[in-house]
Amino acid sequence: MRASALGAALLLIASTAHASPEDLFGYGARSQGMGATGAASAEGYEAAYANPALLSRMRVRKLSLGLQGATFALDAGGDRLSYARAKGTVIGVDLPVPFGGVLEDRVGLGLAFYTPTDVVVRGKILYPETPQFPLLPDRAQSVAVRLGVGVDIGWGLRVGAGFAALAEINGSAIVATDATGRVGTRVEDQLVATYAPAAGLTYDLPLGTRAIWRAGLAYRGTLDARFAVVIDATKLSSLNIPLFNISGLAQYDPAQIALELARETPELTLALGATYKRWSAYPGLLEPTILCPADNADCGALTPPKVAYTDTLALHAGVDWAIEVAQPLTTHLRAGAFTDPNPLPSRVPAGQAYDPGQKQTVSVPTRYFNAPRVALTWGAGLRTRKPLPPIDLDVFGQYHLLVPTDHTSDDGTPLGKASGHVLVGGVVLGVRF
Amino acid sequence: MRRALLALALLAVAPHARANPLDPFGFGSRGAAMGGAMAADARSFDANYYNPAGLVRAEGLELSIGYFRASHYLKTNGHDNDVDPVKGLVGGVVAPGEVLGVPFAFGLGVHLPDDRISRVRAFRQETPRWELYDNRNQRLYLAANLAISPTPWLQLGGGMSFMSSTEGHLDISGLANIFRVEDSTLRHQVDADLTSVRYPQFGARVALSDRVALAAVYRGEFKLKLDLTAYLHGSISELTTAVYQLETHSVNNFLPQQFVFGGSWLVTDDLRAALDVTWVNWSAYVPPVASLDVHLDIPPPPGGWPNGITPPQTPAKTRIAALEMHDRAVPHLGLEWRALATRAWEGFLRAGYEYDKSPIAPQTEVTNYIDRDRHAMSFGLGGRALSPLRELPGDVRLDAHVQLSELASGATIKRDPADLVGDYTATGHIWNVGATLTVGFK
Repeated sequence: MRASALGAALLLIASTAHASPEDLFGYGARSQGMGATGAASAEGYEAAYANPALLSRMRVRKLSLGLQGATFALDAGGDRLSYARAKGTVIGVDLPVPFGGVLEDRVGLGLAFYTPTDVVVRGKILYPETPQFPLLPDRAQSVAVRLGVGVDIGWGLRVGAGFAALAEINGSAIVATDATGRVGTRVEDQLVATYAPAAGLTYDLPLGTRAIWRAGLAYRGTLDARFAVVIDATKLSSLNIPLFNISGLAQYDPAQIALELARETPELTLALGATYKRWSAYPGLLEPTILCPADNADCGALTPPKVAYTDTLALHAGVDWAIEVAQPLTTHLRAGAFTDPNPLPSRVPAGQAYDPGQKQTVSVPTRYFNAPRVALTWGAGLRTRKPLPPIDLDVFGQYHLLVPTDHTSDDGTPLGKASGHVLVGGVVLGVRF
Repeated sequence: MRRALLALALLAVAPHARANPLDPFGFGSRGAAMGGAMAADARSFDANYYNPAGLVRAEGLELSIGYFRASHYLKTNGHDNDVDPVKGLVGGVVAPGEVLGVPFAFGLGVHLPDDRISRVRAFRQETPRWELYDNRNQRLYLAANLAISPTPWLQLGGGMSFMSSTEGHLDISGLANIFRVEDSTLRHQVDADLTSVRYPQFGARVALSDRVALAAVYRGEFKLKLDLTAYLHGSISELTTAVYQLETHSVNNFLPQQFVFGGSWLVTDDLRAALDVTWVNWSAYVPPVASLDVHLDIPPPPGGWPNGITPPQTPAKTRIAALEMHDRAVPHLGLEWRALATRAWEGFLRAGYEYDKSPIAPQTEVTNYIDRDRHAMSFGLGGRALSPLRELPGDVRLDAHVQLSELASGATIKRDPADLVGDYTATGHIWNVGATLTVGFK
């Protein structure tokens, strides 16, 4: 285990990611102020996340820049856990495509980005006995890149597609002693793009009323990023060193389907929806450090605890009230709420660790904490038109309450209660051009 | 023997650090065909790289997508070194408009390699490598820019390009079983961040007349740092304990700052000539070698080590050899001839030339950062369909390019006759081909 071996390994441990901030808080100041709704009600670039079909509603080019931040006050077993603030920049681009003929005013492109100020991606894969909220705060520390296109088919029907992109890492480090007796290292790692598809459709119900009743359905594929690095120092010296498998799944957004119904008039937008998240497919954070050979699948290497996550159904509701203050000036007031159930079971299996004191492998509790979230949201907006500059200004705030939830180890040992709250806020300025 | 060692080493390795793949291979087929002489002439998605000020010259929304492949045939002592090709998508968006009566544009440009976003390969500093061409090979390029035109004769633009550095901590603990390795009860945890790196670019373009324009562009320097610590602690088959601490710092990627001065001259209605000179601050280059600080504590077990087992020793601290590089001025020359002009179609022939004198000092000591002077000749074709459909009221442009880079042959002579790698010759060429499709809307 030479320095070069470990150094080589460290060169490879680059990107470990956590899931997307938009899955936690929604995306875009308007949507985030409206209870993270949007599958039937999103406007502009925000639809690249909420439902790309709605990108076809764009008529004006717009560039939006904003700031977003979140603070976490999370308690596990009576102790406040320390988590850094999540803060970042929002960039959104509305691009209606000016086709002519039958395609006129029917196609729109949207680009939606969120880049944390300090990090592109945070990877925090801790030993399971370390108290942690694996599904919450570090998930907000990840870049978001989403692109989509929407098409107005006609007859009230719109369809759209897009993708989200992230990066995962894979590589190897080989350390060996060469023919001259010197230690040589060969390290190769790659950041590889991973993509998650997104698709959506909306239908304006033909009710013949002044208000538009719209149903929206959006699908977002699994967005995951694995890191997988193998360190091979078996030819370093006569000391028999195992292969180190430094791997894990640090980033994960489950596949999800959002269904929403919205009622729109020029003055008032109401939205109500639900999002199904397939957390049961989540394989968990960690992988074994030592992999058993194929001919000895039951070797003595440790295996990380296998947690059975469960599917969830989140509910969203929001309202946007437009008030025309003057001909060139409209203000918006927004409010909403959403719930995000807890996919982590309250009873989790224990992990294993080598205890040097007892000189044997012992059971250690898996101190994973999480709790259902109830979020209250609010927001405001300003729209100016000629003769004022063509500007959209939106602000929002969210308060997430973690409903206190007890956790126990599978041997019955109580681990304590998960509770706390999260505050989120942001401002976005858009310029139409 | 030395030649064999060198050939083997070069077969086994390729890039260490990386830089910008667009510097040697261009961004979009029009720019590549014109030798990269685009600072005063770019007006499409390629302006995101060549000169952000050019974005505001777009007549309407433009969407571009293309592909290129640059295949290396780089050799030492007659052996091909199997440097990987650079290949991937290029594309971008230009969205012009007006804000308060002032022409304004937003642009986004991207090169997305086929196989990866980026790659790091780390070797000993003695290991031979084509430092600059490997540097520019395997990396994403992503830039966003804004541009305005406060007067009809002046365009200004700027923006940011994005990459990331790494810092983090690795912890491995448990029992390493040296008699039955698969029964080792080891675990790991990782706490690592990819941190944001943003570097700027700015540009200005001045139209002296309808036919002559001058431009200046600045591209910022950036470094991708890798700062990592590790702690390994545990038992070695219950014979003894092991504690291993490591701290490493390195710059895995360095892109020197650049200043570009360029001009474009529409000689006739159908012939355009362009000349750029790029000053590259290579002298600021940081050797891509990691510094290591290691603490290793493995006390011998009671009764000594079993027969045949030699414990690892703390390696000597890396002494990083200096890498001497010189600033360079790189000329780019481009010509574009509109050979066909009808109401519905236009056709273009393009040619270009670029000369990169190697900035790396002769590698006479222990390092082997190989480089040679590069002459790049390029040729291109372009076709433009004007308002081809009712649904497409703008134009559709298809451009293609081929570029041949010849790297002059030269010998590297070592000062030490006992140098492990020894003397060698190096030469080669690079073929770069690609095509770009742009749809413009008015």
